Amino acid sequence: MRARQRGSAAVRAAAAGWPGRRRRLADADLSRADRILRTVLLVGTAVPALVLLFITAEMVLSALPALIYAGGDFFTHQLFTFGNLYATGQSVAHGVRAPLGASYGAAPFIIGTIASSAVALVIAVPVSVGAVLALVELVPRPVQPALSVFLELLAGIPSVAYGFWGVLYFGPAMAQHLYPVLTRLGVVLPFMRGPVGAGEGLLTTGFILAVMIIPIIASTTRELVRTVPALAREGALALGMTRYETLRAVTLPYIRSGILAASILGWARAIGETMAVLMISGDLLNTLPANIYSPFSSIAATIVDLLDSALTDPTGMAVHALAAIGVVLLVISLASNLVGRLLIRRVALGALPVGRGI
Amino acid sequence: MIAGVNRFLVPRFPAVNERARTVEAVAAGVSAAGASALARTARAGTGVAVDGLRVRFGAREVVHGVTVGFHAHRVTALIGPTGCGKTTVLRALNRLHDGRPGVHISGSVRIGDEEVYDPRADVRDLRRRIGMLFQRPNPFPLSIRENIALAARIHGLWSRQDAAERTEAILREVGLWEAVRDRLGQAPFLLSGGQQQLLCLARALAVEPDVLLLDEPTSSLDPGTTARIEELISALRDKMTIIIVTHNLQQARRVADEVCLLLDGEVVEQAPADRFFQAPADERSRAYVDGRVG
Repeated sequence: MRARQRGSAAVRAAAAGWPGRRRRLADADLSRADRILRTVLLVGTAVPALVLLFITAEMVLSALPALIYAGGDFFTHQLFTFGNLYATGQSVAHGVRAPLGASYGAAPFIIGTIASSAVALVIAVPVSVGAVLALVELVPRPVQPALSVFLELLAGIPSVAYGFWGVLYFGPAMAQHLYPVLTRLGVVLPFMRGPVGAGEGLLTTGFILAVMIIPIIASTTRELVRTVPALAREGALALGMTRYETLRAVTLPYIRSGILAASILGWARAIGETMAVLMISGDLLNTLPANIYSPFSSIAATIVDLLDSALTDPTGMAVHALAAIGVVLLVISLASNLVGRLLIRRVALGALPVGRGI
Repeated sequence: MIAGVNRFLVPRFPAVNERARTVEAVAAGVSAAGASALARTARAGTGVAVDGLRVRFGAREVVHGVTVGFHAHRVTALIGPTGCGKTTVLRALNRLHDGRPGVHISGSVRIGDEEVYDPRADVRDLRRRIGMLFQRPNPFPLSIRENIALAARIHGLWSRQDAAERTEAILREVGLWEAVRDRLGQAPFLLSGGQQQLLCLARALAVEPDVLLLDEPTSSLDPGTTARIEELISALRDKMTIIIVTHNLQQARRVADEVCLLLDGEVVEQAPADRFFQAPADERSRAYVDGRVG
């Protein structure tokens, strides 16, 4: 009904000529092949929506007991323990029973997840945007595709390889050479103060996550740069402005909101990253990170880390607790993806590269 | 305005000069309007001389050796059917084809006594001296104020102190001041198409060009704004050399002092507008003016 009202006057006039509603194609009008195609298309459309709905519902239902048990402490407490799985007694809170001493405070994971991906974003956005603009403006045209391929190839490196390299070589090397220098920034930024630790922590993870999301932000930005009308750029060139002035006056303002959207997509990817974070984070539970070099743990990494022992909880509450932090991840991830996509649609981008899942 | 080289046409181009002389002779003999146009050329100004211009896109040559003179303080209309190379010639004048893959340009373009395609030429300053208005308005995605002032500041013509005053003066000149005075800080995309085109014209005028290139500047505009822009073209003639590409013959009649007809990348005829429309010398011009071709 709504759609019909929005149609043009001509369409409405034509529609008025029909008896009653607009006639739909009867099944008899369709060939057998058409009907099969229609069924396949309908199923294809329904599957992603149903999967998303099903997973969300299942996660929320599974998380409920732990969320009720923890109440508001879930977001504020730092202690996350499944309790004594062999004790005979039980802890009861808000009418829900859990193993003795169980506490489901998720604050360190939530903060660790957001902090590590924020660090990644701060590093990745300038690098990606700079790389793309250099690619478009500096690199000779014949070389551009070759260099673009490298950006895309970066997305093809398995995250476990990043994790392995990060924990064995990159992290220690950074802790030895770069981080001591960075502590001097502590004068201005308190969270940059030492100690720097052994290289497993927020900053190392941020670097690795940055490398992992650069392809996403860069390829989205490249598509954005392509949407800048040639006419707008020529307007600047015809005024005697250089390529760099044109970049500042035309290209960057055009893609500004798009870069924001691309960053949000990259961020959504970073918060969900599991394996590399698990290997590099230092896996620190029950404590908030003290500085930017500090070990931490993220939601995704913790779920993988603790799932085995959670399955041994006879009350099932441990699994509910992991589901609860999983829901937090799901909500952050869906919300940021949604916001990113809405923003991108606003800048009228055609095809956009989708965040790669693991 | 920085005093240009103040030459009507460049003596080093015999072909151009010869044509120019013929044109003047005919103009002097034919009409009073032609004669007044001739009188205007005596004043100082920067003419543009194109000699043997060839433009090739890959293997396809689009402009086959065009030789034409654009006189200072006159409006010259480049006319011809779609695809005849008008816009290609126009864009060659301010080197807007530069950097496009597969474009080859030969021949000479001179503005004043400066060779545009001289490898040592200062392309930035050349483009500053040659303003351009495009088929569709293309304001910057910046505030209205910045649209006007940015290029002028970059070229060191305006300082931050006098920018506001000069912005107002230029906006008044194009007749846009009343419409935008309260929203100078806003983006230009909320303005109507016609207002945006006037803004682009103001932007071009802010850098004090000697030559103004107009590439079908009114093809996307309403009649009111079209009339306004045509008025401005006539008024600006006193300050600069104006070259307008149009395939609207009525517009060429209204604004042009001189007409140059291009067909298939070649100049068919260049003549004062009155004579061109009343008594074209070439049979193909007559066919085009009568609407039998194009």
